[in-house]
Amino acid sequence: MVYVLVRKLLAAVLTLFCATLILFVLTRLSPGDPVKVLLGRSAEVAMSDTAAYQQKADELRSQWGLDQSVTDQYLRWVTGLLKLDLGNSMHTGRPVSTEIAERLPATALLAVAALLLQLVLGLVFGALSAISAGKWSDHVIRWICVALASIPVFVIGLVFLLWFAVRLGVYEISSEASLSRLWLPAVTLGLIGAPQIIRVVRANMLAELGQLYVQSALARGLALRLIIRQVMRSTLLPVLTMASLSLAALISGAVVVESIFAWPGIGKYALDSILLKDYPVIQGYAFVMVTAVILINLLTEAVYSILDPRIRRKGVATSESTA
Amino acid sequence: MTFHTRSLILLLLATILVAGCGNNAPAEHPQEAASGNVQQQEQELIIAGQEIAASLDPVQPLTSSYLRLAGAAEALFQVNSDGQIEPSLAEGAEEIDANTWEIKLRPGVQFWSGASVDAAAVIASLERSKAQDLQAQPFLSDLTFTALDELTIQVKTAGEHLPVPLNLSYYQTVIHNAEASHDTVETMDMTGMYRVVEFVPKQRLVLEINENYWGDAPTISRVVYEEISDGQTRALSALSGRTHVALNIPVTSLPEFTGSDAVDIVAAPVANSQTIYLNLNQPQLQDVRVRQALSWAIDREELVLLAAEGQSVPISTWLSSNPDYAEARDAVYDRVNQERAGQLLDEAGWLAGDDGLRAKDGKVLSIRLMTWGGDKALGEALQNYWSQIGIQAQVQHGDYSLIETARESGDWDASIEAWNTFGDTYTLLAGQYSPEGSANYGSYEDEQTVALLEEMRTETDAEAKRELALQVNTRVAEQAPVIALFPRPHLTAVSSQLEGFKEHFRQFENVVKADLSLGTARAN
Amino acid sequence: MNRLRNGRYPLSLTAGLVILGLIALLVAGAPLLAPHDPLEQKAAERLEKPSASHLLGTDRFGRDVLSRTLHGGSMTLGASVLALASALAIGLLAGLVAGMFHRTWVDVVLMRIIDTLMAFPFMVLAIVIAALFGTGFIHLLIAIVSVWWVAFARLTRSVVLQLKSETSIAAAQVLGAGTTVILMRELLPRAMSPVLILATFELGSLILTLSALSFLGLGAQPPSPEWGSMLADGRDHFLQAPHILLGPTLFIVMTVLAFNLIGEGLRDRLDPYERAKL
Repeated sequence: MVYVLVRKLLAAVLTLFCATLILFVLTRLSPGDPVKVLLGRSAEVAMSDTAAYQQKADELRSQWGLDQSVTDQYLRWVTGLLKLDLGNSMHTGRPVSTEIAERLPATALLAVAALLLQLVLGLVFGALSAISAGKWSDHVIRWICVALASIPVFVIGLVFLLWFAVRLGVYEISSEASLSRLWLPAVTLGLIGAPQIIRVVRANMLAELGQLYVQSALARGLALRLIIRQVMRSTLLPVLTMASLSLAALISGAVVVESIFAWPGIGKYALDSILLKDYPVIQGYAFVMVTAVILINLLTEAVYSILDPRIRRKGVATSESTA
Repeated sequence: MTFHTRSLILLLLATILVAGCGNNAPAEHPQEAASGNVQQQEQELIIAGQEIAASLDPVQPLTSSYLRLAGAAEALFQVNSDGQIEPSLAEGAEEIDANTWEIKLRPGVQFWSGASVDAAAVIASLERSKAQDLQAQPFLSDLTFTALDELTIQVKTAGEHLPVPLNLSYYQTVIHNAEASHDTVETMDMTGMYRVVEFVPKQRLVLEINENYWGDAPTISRVVYEEISDGQTRALSALSGRTHVALNIPVTSLPEFTGSDAVDIVAAPVANSQTIYLNLNQPQLQDVRVRQALSWAIDREELVLLAAEGQSVPISTWLSSNPDYAEARDAVYDRVNQERAGQLLDEAGWLAGDDGLRAKDGKVLSIRLMTWGGDKALGEALQNYWSQIGIQAQVQHGDYSLIETARESGDWDASIEAWNTFGDTYTLLAGQYSPEGSANYGSYEDEQTVALLEEMRTETDAEAKRELALQVNTRVAEQAPVIALFPRPHLTAVSSQLEGFKEHFRQFENVVKADLSLGTARAN
Repeated sequence: MNRLRNGRYPLSLTAGLVILGLIALLVAGAPLLAPHDPLEQKAAERLEKPSASHLLGTDRFGRDVLSRTLHGGSMTLGASVLALASALAIGLLAGLVAGMFHRTWVDVVLMRIIDTLMAFPFMVLAIVIAALFGTGFIHLLIAIVSVWWVAFARLTRSVVLQLKSETSIAAAQVLGAGTTVILMRELLPRAMSPVLILATFELGSLILTLSALSFLGLGAQPPSPEWGSMLADGRDHFLQAPHILLGPTLFIVMTVLAFNLIGEGLRDRLDPYERAKL
């Protein structure tokens, strides 16, 4: 047991190291100078004093350590990390950890709400679709799933805003994250994510319903409720895998939904920082996200082994069989 | 049996929905009640903008423009909506001789902290901006300040007859307490009629009345500036009635506002020219005839419709987006003339081949236009005009860093920028067209232009200087290192509840004013 | 269930192939079928609602949306199928190798790469690729493939791990068959089916990703029509002229539907007794 834990921990640290290193190199390789972005953006009047510009740019570069080699910069970042310091944002000058901590709760709230909705919709309509396979209700559900998977998110988001905020006046457009503002972005994300889960539930339930034991149980006249419960139980495992993937995606930020609903989450913040070349923020964001994904994976595995004791024998294989 | 399960599932779904609503409801109520109480006591002005200040320190890039816009910061002077300069924190200014100005300050003005705004404090503030804010350079680097007495500042200028009050009206020169550290809401110290009480970067800025304000006290007690980055969402927030002022409404959202009584669209003309910059180091663009042909081929009238939804006017010279120089709008390329463009290309030796493309010495005449942000449609329309005269035109749309990188490596033909055209014309034109100008991206170097600019620099008579500016403007349009298209449209959605909002071509000047008031709140 | 498995070719597979064939015909025949020039701008006819002369209306430049949709199909479909196929090939190979050499360093390294990519902000990669190699469609594909293969690799690996414990593979190993032989003869065909099915489901989100990235300049450059960028461009006018989105959306819905049906049919045909993975 201890051996397994140590191995998993080592793997996690290795992944973190790889991800941050690759990102570090990539952001530095990509052209575009953060200093120029900061100094040059929307100046009121074009300057003729280029010497002053150069001097200020050099000053900022050395202040942020951008004049050092990439290796030194990375080592400095890792050293900071060991002291739990992610550095300061070039754009706002505030600690990256503070900024991420400010934005993460809004993202987490939205992610959990959206995931719950996805699961409820997925289980209910997936089961409905499987039970009535081939009937009109099954077809309707599948058509809606295909449509939802093919419509751009902004269409759903803007139509919702137009209706609920402007026409009906029941939704408030502001820049705050509050419970009363949560439901519309959550519903939007729930709707786009649900088809995936509906699909998995339907397919697995159909397969399970086709199994011999179910057929014979049916033949023996066992109560459908009991059979459904049994079938549902074995469907839960793949659903769990889907849910963990979905949660990982939601935590790293739903950029379009956040931006349309002015939800102060981490996705829009990360994208802005990427466009502004705010290196410490990109770096800190990646670190936090990789950690989150690793944690979600570990958690999923743990839940898996609780739900399905066979795992302990088979090892990781089954836990990933539906990834 | 199937029916039974289905109803079970539906029941489950219904329960969850009800439970979900039930959870939401109690959370909503206290908030509504709270905001209701607040509204009874005091009025709140809500502004939605695309972005918000990155920090609170006015010497950080752009920060002072947001502070100025929200009524927290003031400069010594301001510009009214007619383009006239008025005193703000200063009481007045007087030109003593060609190199000297004297500025009188208002007596008894205090910072939020209570510290006195005297000559020493103002000079310290301006010196801090000069030292730390690169964008303040064009306005402050030629000025030297000395305190003559407690309320009088002497300004010595490096050049003759510099427009000192104009320079000191830019947001980069706002007066702040140079001794404060300006890193949190508590430590920032300015003079505006509102003081900042809450700041969340990339989210919101909240301000309340400054009780010690020197001027007329505002009637609205609270101002909330929110960042709503998506343009369509900003438009919808104005339409929903919650936001009183929504800045930078996309032109494409305009039709949503037609027929709305609750929201008015304010479209003040802005002094800002949407312009194509050409890279004169490229062999095909070294020929002035090719550059002129590119300009003649553009149907600016139609372009305004395609790329700006008709919310602008065509201009053919750069300076003419400034209302003072409106007469120069069609000074050179007065209408679309593709025939003339074709002739110019023929003369330059670029002859049309069988495929319709023009070529010289076996090389096809091609141009690659780089666009970014919201200018994709503009690029696509331009591409169409240039294709029509036989040029192989490509549009490359992407992130701004791609344009920057291309400029550094020299591997670009054309790109689009929009610079402000209001201000001291010499500074503006020199920044664009002198060989050292930082906005002279395409290495334009023309003897006549340089000579005219030099004349402008030393000219003391305002009328003669204006005449020279027009000459430079025309010369540049004829030489076509840049192609001016139209003033960038600037739409603001203003709630009809809000009284006293005035159009202004400088957006940061006129959003929060003391005489704004909110009418009776509509039922929302 | 049984109803769906009639004969060698399940109903859904046939239906999917028919729809896909129809779409392919429409797209391939665009030069003949399109009523207008997809590039011709007519300012006087801009943002027109659907009418007899413009069945799906016109866009902000007065271009015919139907013609652009038909012409844009070849680029969108070609590119997304190509991207999917490449991701599939890489994913299958990596998954097979990782599964085959389970508990060796090969597997460890591959899994770390996969974990890293899964946790990686896709947008960063896209921007870096655009900046390093330039904008354009090919680079968009590189960006997408370099992330997308991960899902297929994970799935393949897990299937291989499950199969390895089965008797036929064990028997082959006992009989002395080489690793390559086992990989190619035994594992590949059986891993194919769940992976193929996953692939057919991924197509829709792939096409939508094309549109999400077009603001970075990754994607078709103007004026060439492409469904993804048509959606992105149509957003500006969406609330007044939603019809601009109708053409590309309809075609994407039909394509995704066709691929879903094919996926289901394939599952029934290739994998009739296995427990469905997806």
